[in-house]
Amino acid sequence: MSAALVPLASLSQIERTPSGEDGLPADLEDDLKAFGCKLIHQAGILLKQKQVAVATAQILFHRFWFVTSMKQFGIGDVGMGALYLASKLEECPLRMRDLINVYDLLLQRATHTLALHSSPNANPDFKYAPMSYFGTTFYDLKDALVVAEMQILKRLGFNVHVVLPYGTLVNYLRVLGLTSREDACTRAWGYLNDALQTPVYALYAIPTIVSAAILLTTRHLHISLPSTPPNCWWDLFDAAWEDVWCVCGYIMRLYRDRDMVERVRVVGMVGKKEVRRWLEENVAEQ
Amino acid sequence: MSTTSTPTRKRSKWDEDDEDDEAFRLRQQILAKRRTKSKSVKPNDATPTRRIETSEPPAVRLPTRPRHSLYVPPRTYHPTITPSRSVYCYERLNQIEEGSYGVVFRAKDKQTGDIVALKKLKLDEEKHGFPITALREINALMSCRHDNVVGIREVVVGDTLTQVFVVMDFIEHDLKSLLTVMPSPFLQSEIKTLMLQLLSAVAHCHSNWILHRDLKTSNLLMNNRGTIKVADFGLARRYGDPVGVGGMTQLVVTLWYRAPEILLGATTYSTAVDMWSVGCIFAELLLKEPLFQAKGEIELLSMIFKLLGPPNTTSWSDYSSLPLAKTLALPSPQPHQFRQRFHYMTTAGIDLLMSLLTYDPGKRITAEEALQHDYFTESPYPKHPDLFGSFPSAAAGEKRRKPFDSPSAPARAADYKLMTEFDAP
Repeated sequence: MSAALVPLASLSQIERTPSGEDGLPADLEDDLKAFGCKLIHQAGILLKQKQVAVATAQILFHRFWFVTSMKQFGIGDVGMGALYLASKLEECPLRMRDLINVYDLLLQRATHTLALHSSPNANPDFKYAPMSYFGTTFYDLKDALVVAEMQILKRLGFNVHVVLPYGTLVNYLRVLGLTSREDACTRAWGYLNDALQTPVYALYAIPTIVSAAILLTTRHLHISLPSTPPNCWWDLFDAAWEDVWCVCGYIMRLYRDRDMVERVRVVGMVGKKEVRRWLEENVAEQ
Repeated sequence: MSTTSTPTRKRSKWDEDDEDDEAFRLRQQILAKRRTKSKSVKPNDATPTRRIETSEPPAVRLPTRPRHSLYVPPRTYHPTITPSRSVYCYERLNQIEEGSYGVVFRAKDKQTGDIVALKKLKLDEEKHGFPITALREINALMSCRHDNVVGIREVVVGDTLTQVFVVMDFIEHDLKSLLTVMPSPFLQSEIKTLMLQLLSAVAHCHSNWILHRDLKTSNLLMNNRGTIKVADFGLARRYGDPVGVGGMTQLVVTLWYRAPEILLGATTYSTAVDMWSVGCIFAELLLKEPLFQAKGEIELLSMIFKLLGPPNTTSWSDYSSLPLAKTLALPSPQPHQFRQRFHYMTTAGIDLLMSLLTYDPGKRITAEEALQHDYFTESPYPKHPDLFGSFPSAAAGEKRRKPFDSPSAPARAADYKLMTEFDAP
């Protein structure tokens, strides 16, 4: 039975994240995590990688930040390492060079977005400049990738067991008789994928997260399910209301309106150097 | 029927479930009590101690069902995210063996004093980051915890990123060296116990979607309490349904234990390859030597053809569609020779062996089915693991005691006789 138990962050790890201890505000940390996951997701699409590997990478990525500060490792490198590692775990390994090229492209695009924001008269068209085959960019990124992969393994104690939520969602939708509602299935599936940008997969067991996705779906689509105690549908799946509600909060926070400054802020903090600089500039002021 | 020895009985799969169940129930009781306590204390907190005793309603109905299903354990049951410890938590004792994958040491946990096996992974010349084979091995061991699978304790690291050690339970023997030093083969009752243990381990791995792909006697460890543990998951990998998306390598399983479909170049294979190896191990336990001691693949195939009789359309309908089938000339048809090779086996025993060593992977017996085979319920019954003999452990550096020499005749007897003769009048 212990095989089914994935590692989850402990209470003290949640209350005091390593990045938070280094002075990084919680909302900025969450934003950076979400952005790191978006990069993983984009890289996965460009590499035509299987979604199981991408989702596994994102979950490992989130676990990592409960034992490591963003001052020590950048979200770009760790995301790249997580995707590389997860692809091996899911038996669909990637070529290092492919992954590095794709991340290079994504990082260049991020830099471009940033430049565009700081000087509005810059060229709005993004043009990718491929790296040279034997250039230092490649070897730097390769070293970073190898180190990131090893650090993820080491800091997670080599326990890289991940349980994905999709199978559980199908079962639960069947139990609730919602499989005939295609819109409900799609929406719940989408919430699960969006939740990968939040730390919930490192905080709660799968049944809780799946229940939250179903709760959000049924509320949005005005589908009524038994929800008055003692007959609550989430009790069927051993999910506690407080936990389900909390996961819903995490997911819905992703969709809140953000101003341009907030959006661009994370783009400029992909590396640990930028995070350090931000900390020096902003934490020193206080 | 118990197949596990007493000291480890607690860790049997079913016991654990019961314990969980009981833990839930216990928690439930405590929670229920707490609830009634807090309720009862509120209205009158002047004499709280007495209140608890008296205010307990006589019929506190405890829920008969645990609050959580067994499939959704409480949040607190999940392990936390814990980084690897340092290898300096262990004290190195002696080297056990060295293979292509790395070196194995016997070591002592400095905190608990437990004796463990430390397997150092070779990571020096890795071009593709952390080797996928090591990853598979660690993952397989972590997800296949079972009484008859060698237990992984943790993975520790050294000073640099290239030093990684897998910490496993130390087991005294491996079955192969045991078979070579044992003065007499295992008894039928002992073989049954060993086979039941092996089959339950294999069934457990398969139900967790893991193929071992290198089952052989040298990868079966045995402790001095009659329990065997499947080890060395270096070739193990996860399989899915459908099997082997993206193709799987044929470079698996040590030759003597390799299933015919792999030998004939099948790119998709499944749990049946492990079952063939189990069949070879079963035969090896009976014969006290490996069943097919072939030098090459062709020789192995001809040995298999000789024992089983060459495959035909009824015994293996897919034979002709296998990639390498065309390159082979089949010998003339001949009946199988199991009976000639295994004289003293019962009919049920021969039947189990033949079900394991079956050509068609689709017809080959599964581990779950084999566990229910009649062979295990007929006399002689499986021996309790506690009744197994123990042996000096080569891995722990123990020497075999010198066999007793029968006492020789008194050293000077001849002289004495000579003397008496001489002295005789």
